[in-house]
Amino acid sequence: MKSEIILNNVSLDFPIYDAKSLSIRNKVLDIGNTISNKSKTNISDSGTIIQALKDITLKFNHGDKVAIIGSNGSGKTTLLKLIAGIYHPTSGNANIKGELSCMLDIGFGFEQDATGYENIILSNITRGLKKDTIDKLLPEIAEFSGLGEFLNMPFRTYSSGMQARLAFASAIANTPGILLIDEFFSTGDIDFSIKSKKKVLEMMDNSSILVFASHDLTMLDKICNKAICMKNGEISFSGNTKDVITYYKNL
Amino acid sequence: MNFFINNIALKDLIYTIKNYYSWSYLSYFDLKLKYRRTFLGPWWVVLGIAISATAMCFLWSTIFNLYWKSYLTYLFSGFIIWMWISQLVIDAPEVFTASASKYIKAYPNPPIFYVFRKCFFSLLLFLHHIPLIIIVCLLVNHRINLSVLYSLPIGLLIIFINSILFSTNIGMISARYRDFDPLIKSLMPPMLLLSPVLWKPEMLGDFASLIYLNPFTYFIGIVRNDVIGLGFDLYIWIGAMLLTFFQLIVFLSLYSAKSKRIVFWV
Repeated sequence: MKSEIILNNVSLDFPIYDAKSLSIRNKVLDIGNTISNKSKTNISDSGTIIQALKDITLKFNHGDKVAIIGSNGSGKTTLLKLIAGIYHPTSGNANIKGELSCMLDIGFGFEQDATGYENIILSNITRGLKKDTIDKLLPEIAEFSGLGEFLNMPFRTYSSGMQARLAFASAIANTPGILLIDEFFSTGDIDFSIKSKKKVLEMMDNSSILVFASHDLTMLDKICNKAICMKNGEISFSGNTKDVITYYKNL
Repeated sequence: MNFFINNIALKDLIYTIKNYYSWSYLSYFDLKLKYRRTFLGPWWVVLGIAISATAMCFLWSTIFNLYWKSYLTYLFSGFIIWMWISQLVIDAPEVFTASASKYIKAYPNPPIFYVFRKCFFSLLLFLHHIPLIIIVCLLVNHRINLSVLYSLPIGLLIIFINSILFSTNIGMISARYRDFDPLIKSLMPPMLLLSPVLWKPEMLGDFASLIYLNPFTYFIGIVRNDVIGLGFDLYIWIGAMLLTFFQLIVFLSLYSAKSKRIVFWV
């Protein structure tokens, strides 16, 4: 099956729930107010709403390596999570064909009391892999993580750098069709950071579609053949990587 | 017919059931982790129940003026089933907001996947308490109905299905409105006294039929009655079926309408 990502006029409203809107007391008060018609407060169901994505239309085909560029809070991660199917569009439609593998919040699925080895298994079981598939990949992942003997120790004893190594190493088991990556190279020491970059490059080569959000413009320029620039939840510019990077730098 | 074809709840349900391997493995592992670093492991819970139920048996059989042998099996079985069901109810409001929340925000498994993980874990926990009931029955030479061979699995399945539906429904409501969590937690202790766990329905005299107002009666009944040799009670089975059906309807409409919002609530 050919991979394809099509978004048509997709918008996403992101409700922010504060203590007020999560409590039922305000609901009841609200109903009371409506009945007695004393005040006409119009507290919406969802409290504050932030429009995280506005009217996004895009189409990626097999072979596209797409860079997503934009400042913090411009909607890069939200867009990736929408493509992944974690968020669903409020309006418009999203049509994603092909096997997905996400490296977004890679640190999920770890249990504090389980050992490194067990956590590799657990997080990949959550991703839908079978135990025997994981067993076959285990030596490679263990070797890649470089944690050696520590893999037999409980996760709670790991330092944050070691946790990041394990998180990254366990995420590489997926064989990618559509590969979604959010920037995460800031963790780990220099050695590991170089190693993980190399591994990701290899995975990117094998993927049919790559969508990659990052601030590392030189790296994006090297890898990607397409780019979009996000600003306030909208695509402000799209085209080939060089043009978009120039546009972004001049913002 | 359209209601069923494009129903998100059904789609997610079927997807999750097909992926039984993942959640059952995770539940099994949760169980393993629970007992890690303990010497007696799972036997701690069994021992704990045995201790408290035995103590309660002597206290309440004296208060109620009952022969302890016949009361022991009733109390043990009721108490063990109650522990399972009440824990499910207490955990239900947190099924999406607790540990599942970071999964829901990081990976596109359907939210109900984590409900299966939680409920199957509870079922596994209950399963290794069943021998305790049987041991107690044998100790006091109690008669066990042979029909238990088919009624027990059916009863467990009905409770498991209900736990999935209930946890999803309540989990969604209380993820959105956080008041439900403390509300439900404060309702459960009095529910123990209102359910036929410590006392027998016939002790209520003229009011015995009032027990049918309590939904817990049905779920305790379908598992307990055959195990401890009480007669077949058609009302209890019909009641359990009706409650399942009711929950299913709520689940199909609520989950279909709002499951995509869960990620914003947790």
